[in-house]
Amino acid sequence: MRAVARSDGSHAIWTEASEGFVSEGGRLWFGMAISNAEGESAAKEGGGGRKRKRREEPSLAKWRTQGEQRTYSTKLVEALRRVRRSPPSGATATTDHARSRAVREAADRALAVAARGRTRWSRAILSGRTLKRRIRPSCFRPKPVGSSAAARAAAERGKPATLEKKARVLGRLVPGCRKLSLPTLLEEVSDYIAALEMQVRAMSAIADALSAASSAPAAEPM
Amino acid sequence: MSSRRPRSWQPSSASRITDEQINDLVSKLQAVLPEARIRRSDRVSAAKVLQETCNYIRSLHREVDDLSERLSELLASTESSSAQAAIIRSLLM
Repeated sequence: MRAVARSDGSHAIWTEASEGFVSEGGRLWFGMAISNAEGESAAKEGGGGRKRKRREEPSLAKWRTQGEQRTYSTKLVEALRRVRRSPPSGATATTDHARSRAVREAADRALAVAARGRTRWSRAILSGRTLKRRIRPSCFRPKPVGSSAAARAAAERGKPATLEKKARVLGRLVPGCRKLSLPTLLEEVSDYIAALEMQVRAMSAIADALSAASSAPAAEPM
Repeated sequence: MSSRRPRSWQPSSASRITDEQINDLVSKLQAVLPEARIRRSDRVSAAKVLQETCNYIRSLHREVDDLSERLSELLASTESSSAQAAIIRSLLM
């Protein structure tokens, strides 16, 4: 656990664990990340100063480095500029919703690019997103109602049934991971979660910078 | 098209070996979850870990959606390109 994130006492979601997952003040992760980390595995060891019991996979640590987030943020800003230009600025609610969806898709695509095509979910995102968008809303409805009762019933029957059901649910959440075996699925999931965390960090930082810039139109001293 | 044979659930005795692998992977996954690090209990069942993972991913998705909305609103309101230059400056700082 990073000392910086905790001692600052800032309002942070999941701050105990995802060391750097700070939603406000995207600057905090500057401090914790490590003086000269540019994607090195030293990032995860030198930043905390406290050895954690579970060593994190080096492939996951790349999502927490400063360099990776900076690369992602740059790509995202460029994509956002394109999003801003293409749709005409109408005032209808439909346009707003479509615009936020375009932002979300641009962010996801940039995230998939940042993964450098080594994971299934990133390849699935890049190859096409329409399926996931349509299927997701319908999936949410039956899940919360039936899953708890079914889980309790299945738990009596035996472990595999519950695990399989939950694994299927998990596979539906991660893009492109529906038919995977459990070990592969779990690997994809852990990478996906780390990537999502970085995405949230980067987008929060951009949103904060943008709102600060728009609220102070005069050139603020940096 | 994955060339992997679907060997997700084998009902035979080979599933015992697979169970160990599964528990190992599940514990690794647990290390990524935020709550597990607070509790630090090794007796969390695999199903619970999967459930927590599902919830966590969903909450992350929601967060990204909210941030996208916020960003799209900000993009709509901010017209000048100097603001974006300020963003890039602050990001590269």
